Amino acid sequence: MNNWKIAGLAGAGIAVTGTLYGKLAMHHGLHVFSYGEYPSLIRGGHNTMQVTTGEHDITTQQKILDVLIALNADGITLHKDELDDKSVILVDKSQVKLDWDKEKLSGTLIDLPMYPISLEVTGSGLSANMVALGASCYLMGFDITILHHLIKETFGKKGEEIVTKNELAATKGYEYVKARHLTAKQNVKVQQVDQIYLSGNEAVGLGALAGGIQFYAAYPMTPASSLLEFLADAQKKYPILVKHSEDEIGAINQVIGASYAGARAMTGTSGGGFALMVEGLSLAAITELPLVIMDGQRPGPATGLPTWTTQADLQFVLHAGHGEFKKIVLAPGDIEECFTMTKLAFILAEQWQTQVYLLTDKYLIESSMSVPTFKDKYSNIRYNIGVDLPEDDTYKRYVLTDSGHSLRSVPGTPHGLSLTNSYEHDEYGYATEEAAMSMAQIDKRLKKLDNISSYLPKSILYGPQTADITFVCWGSTKLVMQHAINLLNQTKKDTANFIQLGCLAPFDSSEFMELAQKAKRLVMIEGNALHQAESLIREHTGLEFKERLNRYDGRPFYAEDIVSYITGGTK
Amino acid sequence: MNLRTPIFPTWCPGCGDFGIWGALKMAITELNIPEEKLVVVFDVGCSGNMADFIRVYGFHALHGRSIPVAEGIAMANHDLTVIVVGGDGGLYGEGMGHFIAAAKTNVNITVLVHNNQTYGLTKGQASPTTMEGVITGSTPFGVIEHPVNPLGIALTAGATWVGRSYAANIPLTKDLIVKAVKHDGFSHLDIFQPCTTFNKLNTQAWFIEHLGQLPTDYVPNSKLKAWEQSEREDKYPIGIFYETNKVLPFHKRLPNLDKGTLISQFPTSVDLTAAMSEFK
Repeated sequence: MNNWKIAGLAGAGIAVTGTLYGKLAMHHGLHVFSYGEYPSLIRGGHNTMQVTTGEHDITTQQKILDVLIALNADGITLHKDELDDKSVILVDKSQVKLDWDKEKLSGTLIDLPMYPISLEVTGSGLSANMVALGASCYLMGFDITILHHLIKETFGKKGEEIVTKNELAATKGYEYVKARHLTAKQNVKVQQVDQIYLSGNEAVGLGALAGGIQFYAAYPMTPASSLLEFLADAQKKYPILVKHSEDEIGAINQVIGASYAGARAMTGTSGGGFALMVEGLSLAAITELPLVIMDGQRPGPATGLPTWTTQADLQFVLHAGHGEFKKIVLAPGDIEECFTMTKLAFILAEQWQTQVYLLTDKYLIESSMSVPTFKDKYSNIRYNIGVDLPEDDTYKRYVLTDSGHSLRSVPGTPHGLSLTNSYEHDEYGYATEEAAMSMAQIDKRLKKLDNISSYLPKSILYGPQTADITFVCWGSTKLVMQHAINLLNQTKKDTANFIQLGCLAPFDSSEFMELAQKAKRLVMIEGNALHQAESLIREHTGLEFKERLNRYDGRPFYAEDIVSYITGGTK
Repeated sequence: MNLRTPIFPTWCPGCGDFGIWGALKMAITELNIPEEKLVVVFDVGCSGNMADFIRVYGFHALHGRSIPVAEGIAMANHDLTVIVVGGDGGLYGEGMGHFIAAAKTNVNITVLVHNNQTYGLTKGQASPTTMEGVITGSTPFGVIEHPVNPLGIALTAGATWVGRSYAANIPLTKDLIVKAVKHDGFSHLDIFQPCTTFNKLNTQAWFIEHLGQLPTDYVPNSKLKAWEQSEREDKYPIGIFYETNKVLPFHKRLPNLDKGTLISQFPTSVDLTAAMSEFK
């Protein structure tokens, strides 16, 4: 396992360097996870990209770095704690002014003249990051020709000259460290592993395409913006329509309109934008229209920490919307689940005429990971849409049935005229204030989801069947827990396992309790201060947790911290 | 065409909504659109209560949010005729942002605004078009602001068809609705109407005195001239202020809608190869 990080000013090409490095590792058959940190600025703040690679089980970032590329002084001083004796630090001393004698750094420091080399071979300092990438390529034992190929792919759109300059800068960086006989890892053998390297947002986007998305309306908001951009770009290749709306209120109502008209429709946002959509959720509920919504959580309240992560919107999402109605809340735990759960969300929404939420977070949707290439071909069918409606116009949109389900008619369909109404309504959709019909319609909507549990993702136990400690987590914490239990169980067999809650509403108590009852020592772990999923579990099962780990400083959990919680026994 | 529902209007006697309701039904009949190809999206207010009184594919949306719902419908299926029925409170107050955005988008919908210069359904508070000085439940010292100029806003925002009518003039209102619907793009018809219960200023008599005509040689092809007419307060002209077919509607500017409506292109089979190529 190897851990590589590049740190420097926003605008220095940190993200693209990280992506290229991640792909470089993947093209050698390795598994890759990358995690970036950046402030809510376009230029000047401190940015990092961290890429962890290995032959298997790479699901999260690690603390201790094998390679640190520091493009400025902060790149050193802010990351001292992440170094140990084996770390290699690449820094351009001609650019980074520090009192080097006073800086007590673990590991080996290599003065790599990134800026001068870039200036020499390209005429500007802009390719300093490529020099560092070339040097990394050598140190990690990767094949430079593969790096060249990736540079061509990445910068090809910008023209031949940019490609050549960047290739040259990378080559010079590679040769610079090679010529100085700096220790390199053993050459990594190139293995053909059929993987793709993508972010959670991109996986949500692919899942949406596979699930038949036709309409996406949204207003940009970190960390959901890259989903908007992915789908907007996909318009070039797929028969979809993406609308950048005037605001989130417009977006949710446009999505509801498109859904009513028969399009599979979705919106995505973060907490603040989601707050604006709340009235619309209630509209979708009473009109029984399918709706898929992603909330990519970031810390609040208000503007909060825009570029950091959290799991603090859970209770908000569960309860969002005035009046009483049910919803499905799915919490993907990794990149593959971003794909599978989004695809599933479209089917569930249409089949059950309900709203389905994808509760993700910055850590999950902006981190990238290599995963086995998804299957390429998918087919979609329509659910519960009336086609041949009775010619005598007796169709009733909201007919009361035992199951609570009724066919919807899409405008354009003959004999399907009806009123889709934000007011409480009768079976035809006309407004009613009559007591019995009002209650009957509320009951209809509530019982619709009664038998849905077998269609929903289950709570899953990961790790050994029995263990001394059982963690309970949801969402992106799964990424970290997978690594944490590996570390714990390597030291001592059967130390830990964990339960991942995949579906938070409707909450399946019996299924969860079946797993939880076997636990010897239960520890709840989640990224919020008010124990939100823990409360949810207690609400549904009465189970009281005695131990918990909560993090709410905008940072993801680190497996190392979880291990020391167990082995150190403090907290 | 059967436009009747079992429910008779609950509007007050003499309400301008009756006139607009009648004009809309006459316009729909004249337009002769197959009944399944017409969608009317109603805002919440006295005007929106029409949802129960006219047999169409109807969507009774939230207060102020009827326009984005209508946009979503028109974007998903541009073969439909989509009409919004709402009031000055919902469309110029709560929903003004959507009104402006939809005009800019030039999405092919027709927005009919029942402009009675008051909030009728909540019993007479001031609306964005209530005149300066009028004392209402929410403005005990009289409205201190000047009313908005909705036609001017529509013009500035990019509406490609802008007109004004008066609810009691049913034949004119019908004609203007027909023309607005036939226009390919965002059309906005502001319809003055008395509120017999809560608006004691802008009564039938007031309108007879204050409504006027556009100049006899007026040609509605200039935004500037239209704006000048929309700012008139000596007399409030009725008629078509502005229309242009030089701006393509939303659905004619997107290559993905050249092949047909969005909903007609439902992806029964999807191949992700192209989308996944950048992740290799």
